[in-house]
Amino acid sequence: MNTTVMALTARALLGRRRVLLLLPMPLVLIGMTLIGSTASGVEASEWGPTVFGNLGLSVILPLTALIVGSSVLGLEIDDGTITHLLTKPLPRSEIILSKLCVAWLVTTVATGVPLAVSALIAGSGALAVGLVAGALLGSLAYCALFLALSVISKRPVAVGLVYIMLWENLLVGFVDGARVFSVQQHATSFANAIAQSDMLNDTVPVVTAMIVAAVFVGVGTVGATMKLRSFGLTGEAT
Amino acid sequence: MPDTPTGVIHDIGYQRYEGPRLGRGYATRSLFTRNVRAAYGLGRSAWAKVLPIGLLAAASIAALILVVVNTQLPIEVIDYVGIASTFTYAATVFVAVVAPELVSTDLRNNLVALYLSRPLRPRDYALAKLAALATATFVMFAGPMVVLFLGMAFSTDNGFAGVIEEFGGLLAGLAAAAIHAAVLAAIALPFASLTGRRVFATGMIIAVSLLTAPISAILQTLSEDAGGQLAGLINPVNLLNGVDRWLFDGGVFDVGPYGAVYGLVSLLVIAVGTACTLLRYRKVKP
Repeated sequence: MNTTVMALTARALLGRRRVLLLLPMPLVLIGMTLIGSTASGVEASEWGPTVFGNLGLSVILPLTALIVGSSVLGLEIDDGTITHLLTKPLPRSEIILSKLCVAWLVTTVATGVPLAVSALIAGSGALAVGLVAGALLGSLAYCALFLALSVISKRPVAVGLVYIMLWENLLVGFVDGARVFSVQQHATSFANAIAQSDMLNDTVPVVTAMIVAAVFVGVGTVGATMKLRSFGLTGEAT
Repeated sequence: MPDTPTGVIHDIGYQRYEGPRLGRGYATRSLFTRNVRAAYGLGRSAWAKVLPIGLLAAASIAALILVVVNTQLPIEVIDYVGIASTFTYAATVFVAVVAPELVSTDLRNNLVALYLSRPLRPRDYALAKLAALATATFVMFAGPMVVLFLGMAFSTDNGFAGVIEEFGGLLAGLAAAAIHAAVLAAIALPFASLTGRRVFATGMIIAVSLLTAPISAILQTLSEDAGGQLAGLINPVNLLNGVDRWLFDGGVFDVGPYGAVYGLVSLLVIAVGTACTLLRYRKVKP
């Protein structure tokens, strides 16, 4: 880990108006929870799964991780400032780990806090703890994946988007086996293992989820490091 | 030595251009065709083709499978409008990937000013980009429909009448596809034209379609008939499914008596999206 790299990354990510991009999604989540909890005559178990599962863990978490994870290093590659970073006498693994660490922290805060607030509004402390844990695990796996994509591919967002929308949201509905490789399911399982709540529908055993998520993190970090070692500086993607 | 002048001005043959000047319409048409091609990565590197062509191929293969299912089962499981409804979700992925390619890269490389230094007006630029995105999205829907039509036409039992019947279905499907393509393009392009970063452009477009889906679902669970039937308006996919239900009796979204509202809102989305794009390009920088 290198604190200078981390500080610069955090500043590039959150500086100026950029941080405002992260604001709407948490507001929507908390807003929907408020609407749900104030609506009369509707039980929390009716809207809860949609808010926490379909909105929180399967849209807001991956989307935040996609934007953050692919921009921590991707923006530098786009701008060409990666050359400055690569010419410094730093091990490539240190660069990747520092970037991953910032992305993980930012994503966790941007998703975990609003999820916890929503769970508390819905009146369940255990659910809040579970969701924060799920956000922690999910954002680490997602960020490692998208960070690796941003080094390997010239279109990290497009590839990440296809993974989120077509694999996790569409294919999982048809092919049961696809769940095992869906970070969204890992996060849900992990969250539910702690919260034991009926608001979350987990489908993957938590041990499997943690093993596969750990493999994702490992492969992502190592892959990104390897790729960065032989990184070729090219122009804009054509 | 007499001081005779030694400097000579050589005539090196500069000439004025006297050929035909092709003008604004030609430039707009060129921009349009180039961008439809660019949307599918034609004339670009192999990696640029992978995603758009891959999506189109996957959709066509799905249509081929549907042909088999349709002909083997006694009932028809999906028709042409059904394809437009079901594939809308995949099409939002397509516009979220392609719209930033079309406009954000121009902003990023400061190309807009170069385009506008030609006879092309800002309005032409904006409309050409919008039309190109809509056309590319339309192809995304039309490809699988044509596959389905060919499959069904060859396996029809009623001879020529059956083919004609299938053709009528295809026309309805293509009309639905045109509406879907126009709405999706009108939503995506204004967002993409705000930023030169493809990351943020894609993020914004996809947030609109992904984020609004659960919101629409929550509103449906929370409210009674009318509120639930109108809740689809805020999500592009549900909105378009509502239009399909209203116009073609297809679609998977229950709109109740409010079909016309869905049609009206779709028109409004197209109009507002186009207006926003035009307004955006009155200045080069966002």
